[in-house]
Amino acid sequence: MDRDQALAFLHDMTLARAFEERAAQEYMQGNIAGFLHLYPGEEAVAVGVLHACEASDYIVTTYREHVHALVRGVPAEEVMAELFGKSHGCSRGMGGSMHLFDAERRFMGGYAIVGETYPVAVGIGYGIVLKDLPEAVICFFGDGAVNQGTFHESLNMAALWKLPVLFVCENNQYQIGTEIHRHSAVPEVYKRASAYRIPAERVDGMDVLKVYEATQHALQQIRAGTGPQLIECVTYRFRGHSMADPGSYRPPVEVKAFQQVDPVEMALRELSLAYPSPEQIATAGPDCLLRLREYCLDQGHLHEESIKDLEQKVQAEVEAAVQFALECPEPTMDDAWDALLCNRNGEVLT
Amino acid sequence: MKHPITMPVLSDTMETGRLVRWLKKPGDSIKKGEVIAEVESDKALMELEAFQDGFLAGPLAQENSDIPVKTVIGWIAESREEALAEAPQPETKPAPEPSKATSEAAAPVPAAEEAQLKVESQTGPGALPPASQPATFQASSPVLQAALSARPTESGGMTPLARELVQELDIDPQTLAPGADGVIRARQVLAAALSAPAPDLRYSADYEIKRPSGLREKIAENMAATTATPMFQLTARVHLTKLHDLAKQRELSLTLLMARVSAVTVQKHPLVNAVWTPKGLAWRKQVDVAIAVDTPDGLISPVLRDVAGRPLEELAEDWRILKDKTQRRRLQPSDYEGAGFYLSNLGVFPRVLWFDAIVPLGASAILAVAAADKAGRCALTISCDHRVLAGADAARFMEDLSEAIEKAQVD
Amino acid sequence: MADEIFYWQALNRALDELMAVDEAIFILGEDVGLYGGSYRVTEGLYAKYGEWRVRDTPISEGSFTGLGVGAALMGMRPVVEIMTVNFALLALDAIINMAAKVPFMSGGAFPMGLTVRMPGGVAKQLAAQHSQRLEHTLMNVPGLRIVVPATPQDAYWQLKQAVLSDEPVIVLEHELLYFSKGQVDETLPPPPPHRALCRRQGRDLTIIAYSKMAALAEQAAEKLVAQGIDAEVIDLRSLSPIDWHTCAESVARTHRLLIVEEDCRFAGAGAEIAATLTERCFTQLEVAPLRLGGLDIPTPYNGRLEAQTIPQVEDIVAAAKQLFN
Ligand SMILES: Cc1ncc(C[n+]2csc(CCOP(=O)(O)OP(=O)(O)O)c2C)c(N)n1
Ligand SMILES: [Mg+2]
Repeated sequence: MDRDQALAFLHDMTLARAFEERAAQEYMQGNIAGFLHLYPGEEAVAVGVLHACEASDYIVTTYREHVHALVRGVPAEEVMAELFGKSHGCSRGMGGSMHLFDAERRFMGGYAIVGETYPVAVGIGYGIVLKDLPEAVICFFGDGAVNQGTFHESLNMAALWKLPVLFVCENNQYQIGTEIHRHSAVPEVYKRASAYRIPAERVDGMDVLKVYEATQHALQQIRAGTGPQLIECVTYRFRGHSMADPGSYRPPVEVKAFQQVDPVEMALRELSLAYPSPEQIATAGPDCLLRLREYCLDQGHLHEESIKDLEQKVQAEVEAAVQFALECPEPTMDDAWDALLCNRNGEVLT
Repeated sequence: MKHPITMPVLSDTMETGRLVRWLKKPGDSIKKGEVIAEVESDKALMELEAFQDGFLAGPLAQENSDIPVKTVIGWIAESREEALAEAPQPETKPAPEPSKATSEAAAPVPAAEEAQLKVESQTGPGALPPASQPATFQASSPVLQAALSARPTESGGMTPLARELVQELDIDPQTLAPGADGVIRARQVLAAALSAPAPDLRYSADYEIKRPSGLREKIAENMAATTATPMFQLTARVHLTKLHDLAKQRELSLTLLMARVSAVTVQKHPLVNAVWTPKGLAWRKQVDVAIAVDTPDGLISPVLRDVAGRPLEELAEDWRILKDKTQRRRLQPSDYEGAGFYLSNLGVFPRVLWFDAIVPLGASAILAVAAADKAGRCALTISCDHRVLAGADAARFMEDLSEAIEKAQVD
Repeated sequence: MADEIFYWQALNRALDELMAVDEAIFILGEDVGLYGGSYRVTEGLYAKYGEWRVRDTPISEGSFTGLGVGAALMGMRPVVEIMTVNFALLALDAIINMAAKVPFMSGGAFPMGLTVRMPGGVAKQLAAQHSQRLEHTLMNVPGLRIVVPATPQDAYWQLKQAVLSDEPVIVLEHELLYFSKGQVDETLPPPPPHRALCRRQGRDLTIIAYSKMAALAEQAAEKLVAQGIDAEVIDLRSLSPIDWHTCAESVARTHRLLIVEEDCRFAGAGAEIAATLTERCFTQLEVAPLRLGGLDIPTPYNGRLEAQTIPQVEDIVAAAKQLFN
């Protein structure tokens, strides 16, 4: 990884962290409402994957997608304004946190019904083949999403017709409060791809470089016309599932719940299922951001001061985004109707 | 910026008002408090005063049309140019349906208004948010607009319940008059069922239907409502000469003296001042006498209060004010409602020997005074509510009254 | 005097009481176990009844609801929680093609003691995919019963009746009602599950509503008193079947009908109510029935716009006034 590359990663990951922490703050102040799913801990995935893509590739994501939009180049102002529900948000205030869109940047949207991203990506892949272009589509999904029927249906079609789809699993090991061993018979997501003979790889999602390289490699194959690929990035989210979720179901609560049922049975389960203990979690997968910083320092790409500079610069960027969002006008009901009828092309019903 | 003028609510029962005429035309300058139109409520003709300075602007509601209260009937502009730069046509629909008015409110802001708003917003700090637009342009909520989007579009017609009642009660639908919104509802059918049958004009000479004045309509309604009162009459012959002379001597009207003598006598016969109510007899503690006045609009009876208890001079002054208000059609409900005893004087018609009157709702007796003959004798006829007064009660009262009149006991 | 509890607690109590006595009852859904349910409805039950009777499922709505159908066929009483109605769209095959059809297609050979609970409605800025109301879709399916409890007492009664019913019952719970409080008296005998409830008696106007809108309609009726309008408020409690008798009897007295629903107005429950009551009470109507419903638009994320897309108390008051000339 050369210096520029490393610094670019570091900038995006630092921005991502700062942006999300600020969003949490704004949520608490009432400027953002509804469901807000944050990304701290998982930044290496979006940053690594999206840096390996071309601007001509398409991106399909879930409701946990602010960082994906930022890395893709959607201005922080527009993302923040959307979280505020304002009219200059990237979805004009209609979509909110879970539904960021940017047609120009081929950011094909955040989908909030689990399992929707696969068929949408497969459809885009189908179109790319029909148009005979050297493009690809990146399909993000969580570990919980692989048990939705669309996962299997879509993987089958993508493989059957050799569609240029890169499936990226953001395996943070939780489906809201349900730990992966309790929701998946096969907790290694990448293994499932073999049922459809899709080449798949599991990477350390806490290591941005590894994610980046795996993505580059997969995309090369895809562009060579060999069909879909799957990457499973093992990662961890530091916050609750969403702002409404304190995340307390993780170890402390699990332990409490288990204490309430048959202790012998539970002890057995614990042994066989390997829940992360509080200590494990505390040390689990060192923070991807800290790891990258250390790497940059080790390599001599950066000094401590320049990291401070970077942090200040990023803070200013986020501050500007919040100011923009605050001052931005609210959308009107007319804007809402325009959005609904955007494809009616002015047809007047008589 | 234009400010709306709305049909005022002028009485507790007023639902619609008739805009009689505009006293100004668009572009005329008006001052706060100045009278700009005449409006007829269900009770009286009233003046409509401007609530701010400016210039009258259209669209103006049509003269002689009935309009629901609180509906916009015109505008006050801040400049003459603005007042005259009126694009929309004057409203021609009389008595728009309430729902119609709301759907208009939902309509886009007319061009003139829009232009005005733009100018406003350019002027910076003075720019007003849409919320401060005139009332009718204030869009109702989108869900309400959607709900009202499919209301019956044609006004007129009859509701299903009304139709059912028409059949049930075997009423000729031709005789039904619709309500203010043009629709015939159960209320109108029931009113028709309870009222006297409408005349059959099929074989009549050619005619033209004219809506009576609100006042005349109200009188008709009130009179028709008395048919449930069981009534009887009783006539006495009385020498008026002394009272007449006294009136001349003290420069007071004979009618006023009659009222005074009657009131004093009523005080001795409190049953005459009582009235039948469903809950029981209402005994009044003071004698208020209504005196029928003939006006071009019809009959109206202003009320003199406490006629037995106050000095004659004070009563005379009150009566002068009431007559003046009547002439200028400025009577308020408090001026003409609530009397316990009525007086009707046709003394100015010398050939009418004798007449009787109908006891209005709210009273138990009305005294009809015919013209005096050469010898100074006249016929006094009292009509009574038989639920309250028996023949002998009335006779005793008339004896006392006649004596008081003949002796001219006014003080 | 019965204690005041939250709506979610009433549901929780109903489930707990039933599960304690009937082993055929089991719960399944996403995060219903350890987590206790996203709206706490199943709190404590995992610890009490164990994982086989309170099952945390993968995100596989179509299949775990179908699982409920299979279990019901062999006599079990599954209570499926779909995290929100929006995800029920993925389970419609199980609900519509299986649960509602198998008893019929088999010529009446099988019970279908399946209960599907789903929170729904417009909550607070959850955006278009998470703010849906699906009653219109489900009402059009013969073979389903749909209950819409609006109070803790009804939630308690109707969930119990649903679980014990051999018919498939959909329980639509409003997300904003979970933290509303009310008395629950377990000793009272419940009315039939489809019986509409007159929440307020009135002479001048009948307002028919259900779920959260029933509460709003009641508030509106109180405000209407000042306008001289005495409104009757009927809480439907059940959308399939509908208690037409109670509704028609009221309309025949008041001659005026206002229907309030949060679902989109087009082709919704209100349309069915207006049509049927117009048919049944045609000659009793003094004015055309009025339907106040949600706008026919996906729910915008923006909070102010969101509020404008569904009826508020003031809208109900204004709509009621429109029915008087
Ligand atoms: C079909 C469907 N069912 C349930 C949900 C509710 N829900 C939202 S996120 C989520 C967990 C998803 O977990 P995962 O796929 O691992 O993604 P993560 O949130 O961990 O990134 C659930 C159950 C949903 N949005 N859609
Ligand atoms: Mg996950």
